[in-house]
Amino acid sequence: MSILLRRNSSQLHLLQRLGAASSAAITRLASSTNDNNNVTDTATTTTTTTSTTTSGNKRKTLAAVADADIKKSVFISQSSDIFTNLALEDWLYKNFDFGHHHVLLLWVNEPCVVIGRHQNPFTEANVSKLMERGITLARRNSGGGAVYHDRGNLNCTFFTPRERYDRKYNLNIVTRSLFREWAIKTEINDRDDIVIANKKISGTAAKLGRPNAYHHCTILASANKLHLGESLVKEPANYISRATASVPSPIRNLVDVNRNVNVPQLLSAVGYEYLRTAATALEDGGSTQTMKQRGFQLINPTEKWFPGIEELRANYSSWDWVIGKTPKFTVEKELEVKGDERGMKLKLNVEVEAGLMSKICLQLPQSEQLVPVVTPLQGQAYNEQNLNAIMGALKLVSTSNMQQAMNGSI
Amino acid sequence: MVFITKLARVGAQAARQLRATPLAASQCRSFHASCMLAKERRFTDKHEWVELLDANKAVVGISSYAQEALGDVVFAQLPEPGTELKQDDECGALESVKAASEVYSPVSGKVTEKNAEVEDTPALVNSSCYEKGWLFKVDLKNPAEFEKLMTEEQYKSFLSSSSDH
Repeated sequence: MSILLRRNSSQLHLLQRLGAASSAAITRLASSTNDNNNVTDTATTTTTTTSTTTSGNKRKTLAAVADADIKKSVFISQSSDIFTNLALEDWLYKNFDFGHHHVLLLWVNEPCVVIGRHQNPFTEANVSKLMERGITLARRNSGGGAVYHDRGNLNCTFFTPRERYDRKYNLNIVTRSLFREWAIKTEINDRDDIVIANKKISGTAAKLGRPNAYHHCTILASANKLHLGESLVKEPANYISRATASVPSPIRNLVDVNRNVNVPQLLSAVGYEYLRTAATALEDGGSTQTMKQRGFQLINPTEKWFPGIEELRANYSSWDWVIGKTPKFTVEKELEVKGDERGMKLKLNVEVEAGLMSKICLQLPQSEQLVPVVTPLQGQAYNEQNLNAIMGALKLVSTSNMQQAMNGSI
Repeated sequence: MVFITKLARVGAQAARQLRATPLAASQCRSFHASCMLAKERRFTDKHEWVELLDANKAVVGISSYAQEALGDVVFAQLPEPGTELKQDDECGALESVKAASEVYSPVSGKVTEKNAEVEDTPALVNSSCYEKGWLFKVDLKNPAEFEKLMTEEQYKSFLSSSSDH
């Protein structure tokens, strides 16, 4: 119960700090959260009860919430740190009540590569090279593939209750805003990407839970295409993995379609389109509709505004999350050794579990047998540098030596 | 055959009523094929299903409605054996067409096994959500939770009454 109360009070706290909400709006929020409290009081008390045990009631009330009773806000994150923004997104997803209040969060990051929840960073990018170039690697909590972000890319997160999750509606907000602002015509393809002449300007991913869900998408305004391309190339090696694979697509910047496009203007165009559109139907309400909403709010994702956000950020930036959550995989690389006159190729075979090299083996030519390699790197974190270090160490060995050594060891 | 089915049903019911005395359980097992017919599956309003293996063990999966709503499942993240779950705890995720959907445990208990086949071939959740596409098995902590879930009939009427999920 205390957690619930804290959650509600922090929500109030947030709104008061935002300053944009009228006092009437605050009291309304307070009363609506009180209702929820009463419901959970009569039921039993865990943090999730509001949404779960009472979901039967909730569904009825949600179905009864008319479009006119749903207010909308556009939150603009004041941070450009990927981990902070992912933490803010997660905080809102976990703690906010979107029943009568839909939110669009807009955010921009310093250069980074963001992979999906169940992806393998090593098949999506060259992790060692990203580090060298100062490009951050992050893992988000939603599904989908790997994307590159920088200051020329706008991210939009559409928050709703799970029951109101609607990707097509959200994507149409984006396409309509592009047309209204710059008369740019776009299409939404069957993968829910926004494309112009089959070149992708926006990619989509989503997280569905209870009671909340979000759908987020990128919009490429003027991203560095060279860095984008180079960042999403993996180390040449054979990766065997069950992880969700990205679908590489040709991309395009909006600025190449219309040179007036820039991120600040795109941000305001998408925000206004969101506010002037009815909550669930794609009906344009013009400025009358906009005036009924809670408007644009600048968000400072700090511990003071969002109690607990620091902990979320620490998790998102930890090795255990970014690399450690990689689904188990195997990497194979052919090894060129001295005295290879008979065209015999050895294969290095490394098994990686939870980001750590659990088994390092050699595979002999024309043989299925894997022979373990003794190396201090066993149990260490996998990355391309470590892979190449093992390769380098083995290069000095000749095939015949190797075979002798192996026969000896078997 | 009719007779055998009937007997098995009686056996299964007895097993449930007596909280599976060893005799009743073995009786149920000996009529394995027909026992499957009589096995009862319960549902949650979040579209998970639970089936009792014996009085304290259950298997969990997602309903046909849920797998259809998700679309092609491409990745399954399941709870590790040994995990203690409370009812409605988030315990995994199923990813499909760019969306990661959380899986909630319909019952409290300790995970005893996860379906490794589903981890290897997530499409099993789509092709066989009640048989090969089960997600994990639990030792029930509070078997009364099972009784409170919806029966197949109730779930069906729940689906038809609420078109908006």
